[in-house]
Amino acid sequence: MEIREERAASGILVIAPVGRIDSNTSGELEEKLFAHLAAGETRLVIDMQQVEYISSAGLRVLLRLAQKLRERGRLVLCSLAHSVRQVFELAGFLVLFAIEPSRELAVARMASGG
Amino acid sequence: MVLPFDHECSGPALVLGRSRKADLPLADRFISRLHARFFLEGDDWFVEGLGSHNPTFLNGRPVKERARLASGDVLTLGETSISIECGPAEAAPSGIFRSAASLLAPEEVTREQEVPAGATLGRLAARLKLVNEVHRALSGPISIEALLDLILDRVFTHLRPEEGAIFLGPPGADLTRAASRRLPGVSGEFLYSRSLAREVTEKGLAALVEDASDDARFAAANSILASGARSIAAAPLLAAEGCLGMIVLTSRAEVRRFSEEDLELLVSLASAAALRIRNVALAEETARGRLLEKELALAHEIQMGMLPKEFPSRREFELHAAVRPARSVGGDLYEFFADEGRLWFVVADVSGKGLPAALHMAVTKTLFRAFVQTEPSLSAVLARMNRELCRENERAMFVTAFAGCLDLATGELEFGNAGHNVPYLLLRDGSPRRVTGGPGMALGVVEDFAYPAGRIRLEPGESLFLYTDGVTEALDPKGEQFSEERLQDCLRGLAGATAAQLVERTLAAVQAFAGAAPPFDDVTVMAVRYLSPA
Repeated sequence: MEIREERAASGILVIAPVGRIDSNTSGELEEKLFAHLAAGETRLVIDMQQVEYISSAGLRVLLRLAQKLRERGRLVLCSLAHSVRQVFELAGFLVLFAIEPSRELAVARMASGG
Repeated sequence: MVLPFDHECSGPALVLGRSRKADLPLADRFISRLHARFFLEGDDWFVEGLGSHNPTFLNGRPVKERARLASGDVLTLGETSISIECGPAEAAPSGIFRSAASLLAPEEVTREQEVPAGATLGRLAARLKLVNEVHRALSGPISIEALLDLILDRVFTHLRPEEGAIFLGPPGADLTRAASRRLPGVSGEFLYSRSLAREVTEKGLAALVEDASDDARFAAANSILASGARSIAAAPLLAAEGCLGMIVLTSRAEVRRFSEEDLELLVSLASAAALRIRNVALAEETARGRLLEKELALAHEIQMGMLPKEFPSRREFELHAAVRPARSVGGDLYEFFADEGRLWFVVADVSGKGLPAALHMAVTKTLFRAFVQTEPSLSAVLARMNRELCRENERAMFVTAFAGCLDLATGELEFGNAGHNVPYLLLRDGSPRRVTGGPGMALGVVEDFAYPAGRIRLEPGESLFLYTDGVTEALDPKGEQFSEERLQDCLRGLAGATAAQLVERTLAAVQAFAGAAPPFDDVTVMAVRYLSPA
C-alpha cells in the first residue's frame, strides 16, 4: 500500500497511509510504523485523510502503536473520514487516541506537548 | 634468455641502455648504460649508436652512425633482439615489447597481446573448469542464499574483481541486492546504477566498461561516479520467462580490469545461475505456499471445531447461529449457555486473521463459558473477560463482542456491547429496531473497564438478531458493501420467521449479493427468539 511520509516543523513525523487498512495491507503499515519506532522516532502523527476504510486489523496496528508509544512517545491521529471515525467509535476507541480534525492541528498539538 | 616484454613510450626519441635512466631500460649486461637511440626524423625512425664498445647490429650488420628502421628489421644489442614493426598508430599492437610480469600472471593477458600458446590454453582450461564446478554444485539441493554465495565465491576465485554483487528483481522494477562480496579493505557504497540495470536487465545485454570515468554511456550516472567504479563487467540473469536480475563486478583501482573473455565467462555463468535461481525460487515459493495452506487449514479446523453446531430445543426460546467462514479464518465466534432460568449468548469478532485469530477465539470462548457460570451479572462477565484478555496481550489482539443474558421467565434481556455491531430487535411484524445501549470498549484493550449493561424486554415472538461486520461489509463484484440498509430490508421481510429461518435467509441474502467469491471476512449471524415465559 502507499504510505506517504513527511516531516513537519520541529521534526514531527507525519505518516499518511492511502486507501484501505485491512488484513491485506495492515502488515505493511505495521512494519513501516515500527521501523520508525526502532529508528528512534517518538512523536508520530498519522494523517488518515486518504484512508477510506479501516478494519479491525487496522485498528489493531494503531492500538499496538499507541501501546508502544505510551511510555516513551506520543501519537496523534488526524483527518478521520466519517465512516472511519464510526469504526473507532463503535469499538470504543475514540477515548484511546488523541484525534484532531486536521494535520495542522495535529502537528500543533504534538508540538505544544498538549 | 630474456623473456619478451612490452614497454610503452611516447615522444620523438628513445634511448636504450642498461641504465635506469634510459627511456627503455634493458637488463642485459652486454649492453652499455646508454647504448643506442631511436629517433624520429620526418616520417622515419632511425637508430644510432651512442659510443658503446659493443656495436648495435641491424639485421646482422653493425650500425655505423645511423640507420633507418623499417618494418621487419631486427636490431641486436648485447644479447637482446628487438624486432621492429611500423604501422599506423591506431593499429599498432599494444606492444612489441612484452613485460615479463604479464606472462607470469596469465589472467592479465588480453587478446591483443601475443602470448605463447601454452599460457592461453592454460587459462581457458581454468575457466572451463570453473563453469563445470558451478554446474555441478547447482545440480544439488541448495537454497537461494547458498546458491548466490557459491556463484560469487567462484567468480571471485577466477575473475578476481574487487567487488561483486548479484541483484534480483522483476524487469522494470527496482532491483534488490541479494548477495554481495568484496575484497577485504574495499569500502564505500556498493555500486548500483539504474541506467546500468536498465541496459542489462531490460535489454538482456552484457556490459563491459573499461573505464567508467571515460565512458560516455555513464557520463550522467552519478551512482557509478559516486561509487568510484572504474572497470565494470555486468551480465543479465536470463531465465526462460525473462530476466531475473543481474550480476555486476567492479574494480576501482584498475581500468580495463575485465576482458572480453571474462565477460563471456560471466555471461555463461549468469545464465546457468538464472535457471537455477528460478527453480529454487519456485521450490521455495511452493513450500511457503504449502505451509501457509496448512496453517489456514489448521486455523479453520480450530474455528469450526469450536463452534457449537447443535442448538437447544426449548419451549421458551429458539436459538440458531451460523458462520460462513472466510478463506483465512477471520476470528468470528458465537457461543451460548442455557440453564434453567437463563440463556447466555455471545457473538464476537477477534481482530486479525489466521492461526492467531483462531487461537484467540478459543480463549475468548472458554472465558465466556467459564464466567457466565460464576459471575453474577452480564457486566461482570464482560469485565472479567476483558481483564483476562488484557493480560499478556503484546500483539494488541482485541475482541469486539455483543453478549446478552435473557431471563426466560420474564423476557428481560441484560446486554453489553463491547465495541461490536449494534444488533437488531425484530418486532413481531418484522420491523427491525437497533438495540443501542450498554456501549463499551472492545475487550482486551483497557484493563479495568466497567461495562455498563443495557436492558430491554422481549415480548414472546420477538427476536434478537446479532451479526458481525462480515455481513455489512460483504462486497459484491463491483466492490459495493452489503451495508446496514440491505440488512434491515432483508430483516423487514422476515416477519414471523423462526430463528433458524432468520439465520438461513440472511446468510442466503448476503451470499446472493456477494456472488461466487468466498467472503473476505467471516460472515456470522445469530438469532435468538423468545417464545414464551418459562
